[in-house]
Amino acid sequence: MSNGETALKHHHAHHFASADDEFEASKQGMWIFLVTEVLMFGGLFVAYGILKGLYPEMVHEAHKLLAVKMGAINTVVLITSSLTMALAVSSTQKGQRDRAIVYLVMTFLFACCFLVVKYFEYSAKFHHGLLPGANFTNEELKDPKSALFFSLYFMMTGLHGIHVLIGMGVIAWVLRRTIRGEFGPNFYTPVELVGFYWHFVDLVWIYLFPLLYLVG
Amino acid sequence: MESHSEKQKHHHHHILPTRTALMIGGTLLFLTFVTVWIAGVDLGRLNFVVAMAVATTKATLVALFFMNLYNDRKENSVIFATSFVFLAIFFVLTSMDLFFRGKVVVDPKLMTASQSGSKLAQPWISTPELVAKGKEIFSVQCVACHGVDGQGNGPAAAALVPAPRNFHSDQGWKNGRKPTLVFKTLKEGLAPSAMASYASLPADDRWALSHYVVSLGPTAALADTPEDFKKAGVNPNQAGGGSEAVVATIPVEFALDQMEVKPVESERNPHLYAPHEARWLERGAPESRAAQIYSESCVECHNSKGEGGISILRGSVIVRALNAGSEGMKSQEAFNRWVIQGLPGNLMPGFGQYSSSELRDLYRYVQGMTAGHSVD
Ligand code: HEC
Ligand code: HEC
Repeated sequence: MSNGETALKHHHAHHFASADDEFEASKQGMWIFLVTEVLMFGGLFVAYGILKGLYPEMVHEAHKLLAVKMGAINTVVLITSSLTMALAVSSTQKGQRDRAIVYLVMTFLFACCFLVVKYFEYSAKFHHGLLPGANFTNEELKDPKSALFFSLYFMMTGLHGIHVLIGMGVIAWVLRRTIRGEFGPNFYTPVELVGFYWHFVDLVWIYLFPLLYLVG
Repeated sequence: MESHSEKQKHHHHHILPTRTALMIGGTLLFLTFVTVWIAGVDLGRLNFVVAMAVATTKATLVALFFMNLYNDRKENSVIFATSFVFLAIFFVLTSMDLFFRGKVVVDPKLMTASQSGSKLAQPWISTPELVAKGKEIFSVQCVACHGVDGQGNGPAAAALVPAPRNFHSDQGWKNGRKPTLVFKTLKEGLAPSAMASYASLPADDRWALSHYVVSLGPTAALADTPEDFKKAGVNPNQAGGGSEAVVATIPVEFALDQMEVKPVESERNPHLYAPHEARWLERGAPESRAAQIYSESCVECHNSKGEGGISILRGSVIVRALNAGSEGMKSQEAFNRWVIQGLPGNLMPGFGQYSSSELRDLYRYVQGMTAGHSVD
């Protein structure tokens, strides 16, 4: 509870009537940002829909080359990290700083874990000549349009991977501030908003995994 | 502490109970196993539906509880939901354009067909066959404006002034409701209205349409008088009504008139090929390497007979037929140059990947194809 006082030190910006207004406004700003994120990923999901609609057999053949096991492991990793992130937020809200630190560290490590698995997946794809564009040298896939599927695969998982990296950055940032005792029951906006961002990264993956790896 | 809990109450900040968090996390993991497991069972198209339903359930749980939308102010839910509404619009409009647009199919033979008159001796005399044929053509060419039943209420009619004719009424006919006069309308159109000339249709098709249109009317049509024949440019004393003057048509317009509405049934990329292309491709892997190359690289623009037409993928380009008169078919060298260099823009890509022996075979293959031993 000691960080209660530090948190009390937070002064809301002068253009807000109260700290509460500031909190609500920040949160709404985050939701609006997430809307733009949905639309950005949405373009790729629409591209996926088109590809699958136009060339169902090609997508089906190509998707078999993705490693379902790795994708599933990563899904579990990401969902668990979402859980630890949610717990980090509620611990901060309750003023349990030490727990919040543990949960944030866990979330960060899960994110690392996700990227390590992705690294192995990507290297396997490189190895099989599934890189997009002129670097597509795979001989296994008969349909010449298969390269399209892998272009989309790399675009979608790549953009998602970048989000994971950024997520790790902001998690590290709130972790540092938590360690410094800057957050507590009265002020935890950054932790909560980073949490939103991280859950969003999870949300995208929740769709990417079945679309790319499972149903193809 | 006291002041804390007071503040908390004032804030209405909701704290996710650890138990709930663990339950949600557990459910999410469980659903992940379910979705992986179900994907392994072959349910056909249902697999996709199930996977998306599970994913949406998971996403909803994350949004409601981890992201706290459940206890948050409603406007935040509305904001977030809006993004999915727009995503849905994006998706639906794009797929309507891609998957439900009629196919552009050009059969070059049609373009010359109107130059010869009717093949029937007296096409102005109605027969049940002609009416039936006319009905069929009508359902492709005319329904957009005149409506499925010919009542002048097709989907495009609302925007048209004057409105399309209602064929179930005697009123308002400009040329007249007789086979010869409708034939005239179809040949010339009714300028300046939206009723265009259909002279690019073969004369027999236009006669069939005329009889169908007249058959819809409230009364039997009056007999054609000699003046009517004269107006329509038909000579009743000659078989088929005599030959018509050649009507020049702009191929692009012609092609757009030929928009095919019928869905194309085919296993292989049904959306990208005209029916006859699809049928040709369906016969399985072409036997020779040249045929294979042609089907991979050339058929999309040059069609299965080397006749060209409007490429289905690139609706704006009209490709001429590949025949002995083509620049690029004059010699093996010219052919190689065309194929390897392609054309600027996206008219025709260059194909540098083929060996000289492959090009030789391909040249012979295309020559054979256009010299009458057509593949179809
Ligand atoms: C783009 C819309 C459109 C399409 C497609 C169309 N029509 Fe019309 N049609 C019209 C309009 C508009 C009129 C009324 C013109 C006027 O009143 O001046 C008309 C009038 C007519 C008339 C009446 C002529 C007369 O003497 O008054 C006939 C017959 C006719 N159309 C037949 C056809 C047939 C057959 C087809 C298909 C081959 C067809 N139309 C396709 C818009 C269309
Ligand atoms: C993207 C569409 C496209 C594809 C694919 C394509 N072509 Fe073409 N081709 C064109 C166009 C457009 C022209 C120019 C036609 C014209 O002049 O009207 C053309 C012209 C040619 C000509 C010269 C014709 C002339 O009139 O002199 C040859 C030969 C030819 N193509 C062969 C091929 C071969 C062989 C392939 C497959 C390896 C191929 N093309 C693939 C679009 C295409």
